Amino acid sequence: METTTKMKSISRRRFLKKTGWMAAGITVASFVAFPVVRDKIPALPTFDAPSDKDGLTWIQILAEGRVRFYCPRMEMGQGAALGLTQVVAEELNIEQTDIECILPDTNQTPPFQMTVGSQSIANFFDPVSWAAAQLREVLRAGAAEKTGLSTDQIMDGRSGFKLPGGTTIGYAALVPATDVIITDNRLIENDNLKRYALRPTTKHQTIGQNWLHHDLTAIVTGRMAYARDISLPDMAFGAVVLPPSFGARFVAANSTGAMELPGVLGVEFDEAAGFVGVVANTPFILPKALDVLNVEWQIESDFGQEQIDALLDVERLRAEDDFTHTLDQSGDFEIGQQSARHRSSGRYDTPFAAHAAIEPRSGLVWVRADKVEVWCGTQDPFFVQKRMAKILNREAEDVVVHTHRIGGGFGGRVMCQASEAAARLSAKFNLPVRVQWDRAAEFQNNYFQPGFSHFIDAGVSKDGFITHWDHDAVSSSILTGLAPGLIGKAIDLATPDQGTTRGIRPPYEMTNKRIRHSAIRTPVPINAWRGLGSAPNAFAIESMMDELAFKSGIDPLQFRLKNLPANRVRLAEVLRKVGDMSNWGQATLEDTGRGLACAVYKDETAVAVVADLTIDHAAETIKVTKVCCAQDCGLVLNPHQVESQIMGNITWGCSMTLNEQITFAQGRVEQDNFHLYEPLRHGSSPEVNVALLAPPGTPPAPVGESALPPVPAAIANAVFAATGHRCRRLPIRYEDIFAETG
Amino acid sequence: MEIVINGNVIAVPDDLQNVTLLDFLRDFVMLTGTKFGCGIGLCGACTVHLDGVAARSCQTYVSDVIDVEVTTIEGLDQTSPGEGLHPVQQAWIAEGVPQCGYCQAGQIMTASALLHRNPAPTAAEIREEMNGNLCRCGTYDRIRRAITRVAQEV
Ligand code: FES
Ligand code: FES
Repeated sequence: METTTKMKSISRRRFLKKTGWMAAGITVASFVAFPVVRDKIPALPTFDAPSDKDGLTWIQILAEGRVRFYCPRMEMGQGAALGLTQVVAEELNIEQTDIECILPDTNQTPPFQMTVGSQSIANFFDPVSWAAAQLREVLRAGAAEKTGLSTDQIMDGRSGFKLPGGTTIGYAALVPATDVIITDNRLIENDNLKRYALRPTTKHQTIGQNWLHHDLTAIVTGRMAYARDISLPDMAFGAVVLPPSFGARFVAANSTGAMELPGVLGVEFDEAAGFVGVVANTPFILPKALDVLNVEWQIESDFGQEQIDALLDVERLRAEDDFTHTLDQSGDFEIGQQSARHRSSGRYDTPFAAHAAIEPRSGLVWVRADKVEVWCGTQDPFFVQKRMAKILNREAEDVVVHTHRIGGGFGGRVMCQASEAAARLSAKFNLPVRVQWDRAAEFQNNYFQPGFSHFIDAGVSKDGFITHWDHDAVSSSILTGLAPGLIGKAIDLATPDQGTTRGIRPPYEMTNKRIRHSAIRTPVPINAWRGLGSAPNAFAIESMMDELAFKSGIDPLQFRLKNLPANRVRLAEVLRKVGDMSNWGQATLEDTGRGLACAVYKDETAVAVVADLTIDHAAETIKVTKVCCAQDCGLVLNPHQVESQIMGNITWGCSMTLNEQITFAQGRVEQDNFHLYEPLRHGSSPEVNVALLAPPGTPPAPVGESALPPVPAAIANAVFAATGHRCRRLPIRYEDIFAETG
Repeated sequence: MEIVINGNVIAVPDDLQNVTLLDFLRDFVMLTGTKFGCGIGLCGACTVHLDGVAARSCQTYVSDVIDVEVTTIEGLDQTSPGEGLHPVQQAWIAEGVPQCGYCQAGQIMTASALLHRNPAPTAAEIREEMNGNLCRCGTYDRIRRAITRVAQEV
């Protein structure tokens, strides 16, 4: 979806003035234009990665010498805000108590890239560090001016500087009474700018420390404000009737009954938008009001799971020899096939999946003549801003999105459908309106992870090297999943989806290979889900690696090491490490098994996991008891946060492997609550053992999704070790393995 | 009709006696620390204490709690001796348990009720008692560590 980027020059000074951004204090500002993108074309998520200079509007010294950091990352538990706060602190020589971190509203910073794809630290580390270092040097120059010394006589001190003779001067003393914006001509050339965040880890003061998140106390006392918790004094309460199936068209509704209920203020239909909503002055009447609306829908599609499965059937495409893209081809895999001593081939399938964040989405919107305010939790506030402007036919700059901590994102919170409904109702009834989704709405009206269908044929020589790798895959486009009909089809033909194909190229040495891919659109809305294609793709690849190792009689760990090219040192290191951690190779008991898998996420973060499991015949379950994970994600800003992310990914991976599956019937999602789609529960969660390693001097790499990809294959491989049964389809269920044997 | 929430007597309007305790807490008393997750008793995000015992407020009606002390996450610290946070809240901070945090009020309410009844639960008892509280972010391992920390401190 590379759309033309419209560059529009707005000076930072104008932006800062206009938005009232400047608190008393010093702001470093740059007159470089920043892109205000895509304001005339359909609202799209904010893709542009930040440049160094973007960082300048994020950091500010307040009058009392404290630092305010408008964190350009939305917070949903990944803790990126904390890691980046530590970078600011490192550059400015301050402690956690000296800095406040704020999730900015859309009028507090220029647009920034949406919070997805584990990019937060990797992409933002540099601009944040650069800008904070610039600010420090501006302050140093100020100290020099004030004392009549030269800047090289002014040494770093805590929250300020040390002067010759042992006196100190704090940042507070350097902030003038009136606001100052420091402009480009005061910035230091990159070559002369000391970047403390880039020094060796042993020299770091705050980077690498386990700072605890600034929101923890609010969270554990119930005072953290999520979008659902916001209210305004005279707000009204809205609810919508959502379509009963994909593409269903609103025909008619009867508002009489609803209008007679006490508290109901009005009912709104918008046929074109397929919108039916009701507003009341109390939330308690809403369920009844929705009940009596009697909405009539025209069902447009009644597809079921078989139709979807038939579309995403790799064997059909292989029979037709019809794949849109050859992602990688080298050597001649037919020659490879002939030289194979051992061969294996198989089809691997993974199902559609939902995000199932525990917080169902919610929005509070107040549409007024001069201003629209939105309170919501979104991974992309600037997208919500654009969407709102479009729906309400307003200018984007009239819309302010107040951002809130999200109760679980996982890629599912870019859109903010509840806010859109609230906006329509607020515009109609001239009141602030709150709309909250319930669990069924959340399950049935968002977008999904698509199903994947793979076929791999591969072989191993008598010396244990991979002779050939023939991998065909079909799924739906993810990153462009929401592009409409023909546009979507055209995109699919033009270019393979970077999200769907993420991680489909194996890290191993293989001379003869061919990897083909087709994206096929189904009626199911598709978009980002944790790790995108990386986990389904790694499931196929790493399962096949296990099959090859088994067939050739080589230990799976040794087999992987043997087939890694020389430049995969970091992956080899995590493999060896996880082998040590897990005592790989030790014998296992009856009805237990262990499996290994690895992956390199986004070609940056190397991860290897070993899963231990037990088959519980009494309870008829497969239980993952322990997972060891070794990860190399480069420089770690906060080990505790990284470890939490790994634990989260491992839990998620167990869940997707053993529990999760979205299915369709009559044009709708069959699952509507946690009894039909049950994320892994506490009692089934494994003990997790994490090791972090990285060569010195490596920059931070993605963390938020990196440990997920190898988990499903590690579990499937452990099931094989325990039972001799090769599971090539997710989810893996006890009854599927032991169906025949009873 | 009156009910007692965190030690405060709250008068219940006639037309709200049959709403769920969860909706009443969030939309009438404006105590929003107790969360909605599923509405059918499956996720535990709405957990409160009724006379010190963990209960799902989405499955409880206001009229059910007339002679019962209701404690929510906002009032939990009052139930432990001394100033400051409840030991379970402190352990949650010390272990850095929360990720998105949305499920954590419910987790803490379930864990504190467990520890009240059984100050030294076994690993199996922790797993069993906490099984009703979903965490999509996957903080289970840290939750176990936090509960164990409290159990060891008493
Ligand atoms: S909201 Fe009560 S258990 Fe989920
Ligand atoms: S911390 Fe996010 S759901 Fe538990």
